[in-house]
Amino acid sequence: MGASKKLMSVSRDWRERDVRVVLVALIIAVATVATIALFASQLQRTLVSSASSFLAADRQLEAENGRPIPLEWLEDAQSRGLETGRMVEFSTMVFGESGFQLVSVKAVSDEYPLRGEIEIQPGAEEPRQIVSQGPGPGQVWVNPRLLRLLELDIGDTLEVGNLKLEITRLLIREPDGGFRLSSLAPRVMMHVDDVAATGVVQEGSRVEYVYLFAGDEGVLDDYYQWLEPQLEPSHEWEGVRDGETFSRSLERAERFLLLGGSLAVLLAAVAVAVASRQYALSQRDTVALLKTLGLSSRGIGELYLRRLSLWGIVGVLGGLAVALPLFWLLVRLLSDVLERPVDFYLDPAALTPALLTALVSLFAFAYPPIRRLRNVPAMRVLRSQPGETGREAIPDILLAVVAVFGLVWMYAGELMLVAALLGGLVLLLGVLGLLGWGMVALLRRVKGGGNSWRLALVGLYRHRRASMAQMAVFAMTLMLAATLVLVRSSLLDDWQAQLPDDAPNHFLINIAPDAVDDVEEFWATRGAPLETLYPMVRGRLTELNGEPVKEAVSKDERVGALNRELNLTWMAELPEDNRIVDGQWFGPGETEGVSVEAELAEKLGLQLGDRLTFTIGSSKVTEPVTSIRTVQWDSMKPNFYMAFPPDGGLTDMPATWITAFYLNTDNKLALNDFSRQFPTVSVLEIDHIIDRIQQIVQQVTQAIEAILALILAAALVVMAAVVSATLRDRQREGALLRTLGGQQSLLARSTMLEFALLGFFAGTLGVIAAEGAVYALQAGMFEGTFRWHWQVMLPVPLIAAVLLALFGRWQLRPVLSVSPMLLLRRLE
Amino acid sequence: MNQMTDLTKTDSSPMLRVSDLTHRVSLETDTLTILQGVSLEINRGESVAIVGRSGSGKTTLLGLLAGLDTPTEGTVELDGSVISKLSEDERAKLRARRVGFVFQSFQLLPALTALENVMLPLELAGMEAPEQRARELLERVGLGERLNHTPRQLSGGEQQRVAIARAFASDPAILFADEPTGNLDNRTGQAVSDLLMDLNREQGTTLVMVTHDEHLAERCGRQLHIEAGMLTEPDLAGGPAH
Repeated sequence: MGASKKLMSVSRDWRERDVRVVLVALIIAVATVATIALFASQLQRTLVSSASSFLAADRQLEAENGRPIPLEWLEDAQSRGLETGRMVEFSTMVFGESGFQLVSVKAVSDEYPLRGEIEIQPGAEEPRQIVSQGPGPGQVWVNPRLLRLLELDIGDTLEVGNLKLEITRLLIREPDGGFRLSSLAPRVMMHVDDVAATGVVQEGSRVEYVYLFAGDEGVLDDYYQWLEPQLEPSHEWEGVRDGETFSRSLERAERFLLLGGSLAVLLAAVAVAVASRQYALSQRDTVALLKTLGLSSRGIGELYLRRLSLWGIVGVLGGLAVALPLFWLLVRLLSDVLERPVDFYLDPAALTPALLTALVSLFAFAYPPIRRLRNVPAMRVLRSQPGETGREAIPDILLAVVAVFGLVWMYAGELMLVAALLGGLVLLLGVLGLLGWGMVALLRRVKGGGNSWRLALVGLYRHRRASMAQMAVFAMTLMLAATLVLVRSSLLDDWQAQLPDDAPNHFLINIAPDAVDDVEEFWATRGAPLETLYPMVRGRLTELNGEPVKEAVSKDERVGALNRELNLTWMAELPEDNRIVDGQWFGPGETEGVSVEAELAEKLGLQLGDRLTFTIGSSKVTEPVTSIRTVQWDSMKPNFYMAFPPDGGLTDMPATWITAFYLNTDNKLALNDFSRQFPTVSVLEIDHIIDRIQQIVQQVTQAIEAILALILAAALVVMAAVVSATLRDRQREGALLRTLGGQQSLLARSTMLEFALLGFFAGTLGVIAAEGAVYALQAGMFEGTFRWHWQVMLPVPLIAAVLLALFGRWQLRPVLSVSPMLLLRRLE
Repeated sequence: MNQMTDLTKTDSSPMLRVSDLTHRVSLETDTLTILQGVSLEINRGESVAIVGRSGSGKTTLLGLLAGLDTPTEGTVELDGSVISKLSEDERAKLRARRVGFVFQSFQLLPALTALENVMLPLELAGMEAPEQRARELLERVGLGERLNHTPRQLSGGEQQRVAIARAFASDPAILFADEPTGNLDNRTGQAVSDLLMDLNREQGTTLVMVTHDEHLAERCGRQLHIEAGMLTEPDLAGGPAH
């Protein structure tokens, strides 16, 4: 191999410490970004598909106006290659031999469900089965409770309107079992083609037509673009992300992944920038020599550009070589968590951010200092020239900031996130500059202490520029890592708090006022006490300040709550998890007013004092808005948009009572006794929904932890890069100190102390900054409430101090283990 | 090697012609004059030592003569080219073809072997069969057995011998040496200077050397004394080495 070729070979480069750091940083950057992007894309797909099963499709279109949608809407969807299905839902009386019962009918087409599965039982004693298609024509599947209520059995006939259907299966669980209070009556599932023959559904009947769509996300989005202008207010397009219960968890998880990804990009950028600047500084002598030997500045430029490109290739290939097995492991982990195999989904588009990260890292962070090598004077071979002052790096820093901004924006796609992060970092750097300088200056005055202590302080002061840079980078790295840890734990805490192990998993609905005491007693004696009981009155919001509400509210706002009956209640105490955001909760004895849920109030543009008119049966009630409150929809407890005071507007209205309670699986049989004793009370079993939510939370938690580990690894590399940057100086000094008679132990102690101090300061600053960032993120993105995290604030600076001390000791080991003579020669 | 005879035959102009050379550097508060009105001529094949105290300006002069830097005032004509008029890249090209260097601190690339270090200028100048020429030279300096050792595996004297081999590798017309024995002990320094002078004679190269070493300076055909940036031409006029 020729010498000049060898000058550019990566294997030769690898022998140089700074290049190793650049390459490792680059590999980690590409690996982290690629893994996160691949896994986020996989997770997205897996989560959407497991969440999609809650809709039995990827999207649902509901027509609540009692009319089917135009046929061409479905045809258009099919022509785009989307799968479609239909359902008709309505309530009706059904008849068995011994009586009748109000049921909620779901009539489904052959395609149902497009996503998810139906759980059935061929007979009361037989094992449950999972099927992927509903009942055929002439058949009906029913909720086991209905059989008990009507004293029917499998094989018997059930009359739905004019049609007699054979009961062939017990319906245990439907994928879109949902959680709607309008479907309280026992469920009956039949084929959609039988609906006409029942004669139950007439023009104007209360019936809901639901259409299912599944297919590629992009096609679905295109289809919705086409469909949206044609939709009427009574049409509701629902996707997984629009739903209430799961979307929040999903959104938060997704944001967390994006945040993690962005932080990875930032860390990688810092590592590459630091290491390549260091590399460029170390190359100045070589460049001066090459120039002296006759290489032109252009030749120098080309030499390093070619070298940089080689690094890029190594970084990308190396990064992918790390990312793919890691991704494979993560997907395996995901399969374990889900207890089902997960198909690999190697999204080629997910590799683009990794490639771009490599490119941008190289050309925006690594190239500028290396480019300036062309300007190194040849005269440097004879006499060392003034080095870089740092001022010429200002354009580099500007370029880097723009590049980071672009990179994170591309990666996270959220301007807000990017602005918060960069704003936080810029602020941090400013504050750090001041604080760090002050601390170093203070240190200089510190007197006393042992030799090693004094040596450590002198060390910090002597390397103050490097110390400042290191402190800034450490603090930044710790801030990013701590932010992530804090956001993660507050996310998980929120989830845990929402769904404790004994979260209510059954609802009792339709309790007659005179049965309330008996129902309470029934469950109290069985060790399953009820949560608060709420009265429930069904009514529609019809007027706003005397104007019909549909006119008063802008047409663009499709407000679901206006299209259906609302559950109204009265209560004296504000539920624990509700928060008043405006106005005042009802005082004792107060009977006027209504409290409105905050999101609905915002959609309707309600202000305190607006007069709302509700139509309840044939009567009308008008009350002013006296407070606006937030509600935890995912608390699995009864929640209400509208709450009145006791003896207020709802007095004398026909009310039934509702409550929730926790029943463990062993006690499930008590439900049969309960149904017999209180046949009119509806029981809504949501334990399987809660199981699913907990599963998703677990899944997301695992993913978050895996990615957190990756990012912390990246943070460590950054630290290594920065410490390595001053390594040569430190080694030289160490060797000199030893030559002059310094003992190994003194040297070791002072170095460890120096790094420990650095780590402690950086940790303190980083954690304070992290609290600030978390505050901003919580307020802006995660909708959480802010609190100080003492449990993180105290240990992080200490851990950083210990880690850095050990790291410094480790880096100095050649100085301590080799004879000073040999070392000085090596360092020449 | 009869290149020297070719050159001297075809061109009798001086190898180096310096007129009224002045060099100043700006400091934060004022300007420092390092060289003041230096004029000299060095003929082809001549060997010249520049001697003077530390800080007298001799290294700066060497850098200007070799075209590593450009003077504030005055001209340097190297092998017929006025180097102060050349661009940096043109000067680099000139160096690649006509100039060799030996430094006090050897300046070998640590990641390259001895052989590769010697090959480097040959490749940069686009010469043919660089490896063969590099081997020959390393054998000539007595390091035929150590071709594949990296600088770190060589002693200081050996490193300087590699540097000398590198300096002569591209058949330079002129060789600049900056304190070539400055980092070596007496005995090793003696051996290295023997080698340098021998090779210089063999190749007929013009030699310009900055040194503190009086013995070494005396071995050069002419000595230029420099003091506070001014040339104090000694009483002995130039002549061939004795």
